[in-house]
Amino acid sequence: MLSIKNLHVSIEDKAILKGLNLEIAAGEVHAVMGPNGSGKSTLSHVLAGREGYEITDGEVLFNGEDLLSLEPEQRARLGIFLGMQYPVELPGVNNMTFMRESLNAVRRGRGEAELDAVAFMKRVREKAKLVELDDRLLKRSVNAGFSGGEKKRNEILQMAMLEPQLAILDETDSGLDIDALRVISGGVNALRSPDRSIILITHYQRLLDYIQPDFVHVLVDGRIVRSGDKQLALELEKKGYGWIEEEAAA
Amino acid sequence: MSTTVEAQRAWFEQAIDQAQGDLPGQDLEWLQQTRAHARRAIGTLPVPNRKSEEWRYTAIEGLLKNSFQTPAGEADAARVLEAGGWLEPDYPAYRVMIVNGRCIADASQTAGLPEGATVGSLRTALATDPELLGTWFGQAAAHTDHLFTALNTALINDGIFLHLEPGVVLDRPVEVVYLSLGQEQAPLTQPRNLVVLENGASATLVERFIGPGDALYFHNGVTELALRDGAVLKHYRVQDESRNAYHLSSLYLTQDRNSLYQGTTLAFGGAWARTDYQAVFKEEGARCELGGLYTVGDRQLTDFHLDVRHNVPDCSSREQFKGILYGKGRGVFDGRILVEKQAQHSDAHLSNDNLLLTENGEIDTKPQLEIYADDVKCSHGTTVGQIDPQQMFYLRSRGIDADAARRMLCLGFAGEVIDAIEVPELREYASQRLVATLNQSIQAAE
Repeated sequence: MLSIKNLHVSIEDKAILKGLNLEIAAGEVHAVMGPNGSGKSTLSHVLAGREGYEITDGEVLFNGEDLLSLEPEQRARLGIFLGMQYPVELPGVNNMTFMRESLNAVRRGRGEAELDAVAFMKRVREKAKLVELDDRLLKRSVNAGFSGGEKKRNEILQMAMLEPQLAILDETDSGLDIDALRVISGGVNALRSPDRSIILITHYQRLLDYIQPDFVHVLVDGRIVRSGDKQLALELEKKGYGWIEEEAAA
Repeated sequence: MSTTVEAQRAWFEQAIDQAQGDLPGQDLEWLQQTRAHARRAIGTLPVPNRKSEEWRYTAIEGLLKNSFQTPAGEADAARVLEAGGWLEPDYPAYRVMIVNGRCIADASQTAGLPEGATVGSLRTALATDPELLGTWFGQAAAHTDHLFTALNTALINDGIFLHLEPGVVLDRPVEVVYLSLGQEQAPLTQPRNLVVLENGASATLVERFIGPGDALYFHNGVTELALRDGAVLKHYRVQDESRNAYHLSSLYLTQDRNSLYQGTTLAFGGAWARTDYQAVFKEEGARCELGGLYTVGDRQLTDFHLDVRHNVPDCSSREQFKGILYGKGRGVFDGRILVEKQAQHSDAHLSNDNLLLTENGEIDTKPQLEIYADDVKCSHGTTVGQIDPQQMFYLRSRGIDADAARRMLCLGFAGEVIDAIEVPELREYASQRLVATLNQSIQAAE
């Protein structure tokens, strides 16, 4: 489904990703772990199409299509979803209106009919239950004044609505207390399916207790230096990143 | 220099002396005197120029290059109605149609008004109710302080008269449509309005200012508003003038004890459009909320001047204005709040936020708080910014294309002001009008 080959990315002439390779098949859950500054968020932003990054080499194919030449909205319509580490607030933009515009834009992109107001309401109420998001937050401005946990629930709600083929969840666990983590992980697990792949970007092994990955990759200095199963995450938890960084440097 | 000023002054004098048609109320001494005072004041009042704070960013030279003439008589009602479309959006309301400054009875609809309510032509009221008019006229507006108000006053002819006796509550909004039609000689249209809500009376007043396509005219309207004890007025104004129009609205508001005024002005149209608000608290416990939204593009200048005077204790005021500028649009905002020494416990907050969609837009914004009392709650804030790229990315990453994302963010920015409009059809119209403007700005940018 997703094939990243020799990806090199710079920000203002500073190399961040330095030859990253990653293959993800349908239905797989991949965790990408790594120390601060290793390029985890850059990877998620580049996949979603955020501006400000220069691709200096390599390619990214999504179902065989060149992803890097597409606008962010085109990628979303192809089925890519980025759950953000810091979801921005959109004062004055109603959450419900926003989700309906978003869903219908993606549905049009997939060649599906738009949902009318009634069908949309039914769907959004049902999905909101999945992440235990208070109905009242649907009527407010997007993320405006939401707590950290509410923002993340709102992200996973959007994922549930948009039914992406590939969801990239960028530090979805950061800033969550244990209850919120459980709810959000429950939401993500409910969305696992044989057609849907997930990239979990995280700092901590803790998230992987709740969402069990098929593969774990360690990103150091812009490259994946080690891949394994979830045992690798446990090892990292115990020993930290130091040993792996040393190995990578050697 | 002085020759320029004299030439400019002559423009005002000519505009008065060349006015056509008979002015009503020739037999009313107070009215004749008022007109005569104003006419004399034209000879002595300072001509606005960019050296004065009030007019620093708003030149009147372009206006004065044109020659405008007060049209004679009433416009043809049939022609107006035939043109149609002027009454959109349609909703239950008492309607008054004013064309080129004159009320058109045949195009108005005020049947079913409750007892104690007068809504109609000022000209008619001068004939039927001169004493009531005489009592209120000039109470709020100083006829001879401003040249443009003096110009309007010297030619007082028609406009709306809205009077509610104590306790009268209108069941529907009053909507006044000011239609300016271009003609061979560009018209000077000067409606003169008087709105008086007696103790405990309550009304919603909607005013829409419109003109077809590229018609050239100068709308110089003056409105006096008096709210007596506990009166409530919700006042929505939509300025949608033609793209060549000059528009000046001068509003003079006085508020008695515990009265509430909520005014929202949406300024979309015109080549040169200015709104001057003067609000004076005369008694304690009153509240004044002024809101505004302006969208300004190529070949447009839109100006708001507020002058809110806390003269007595325990009153509150809120001023919230937002602007969206695109192309080479120029906006001016000047918000002055004066809190006099005796006006303890005044509560005033003023904000002006601007969104620049292009590099060539310009906004000159100046909040001014002048506070002489020591126990008050007052604040102000001004911002000028662009659309946030992070917000854009968030929306686009959800499948929404860049134009739609920009539109959503602009609507979100303007939403607070539009949402204050309590007439649903008008609110919807305002949103659609804003969307149309934003689409235009996006096209222009491409």
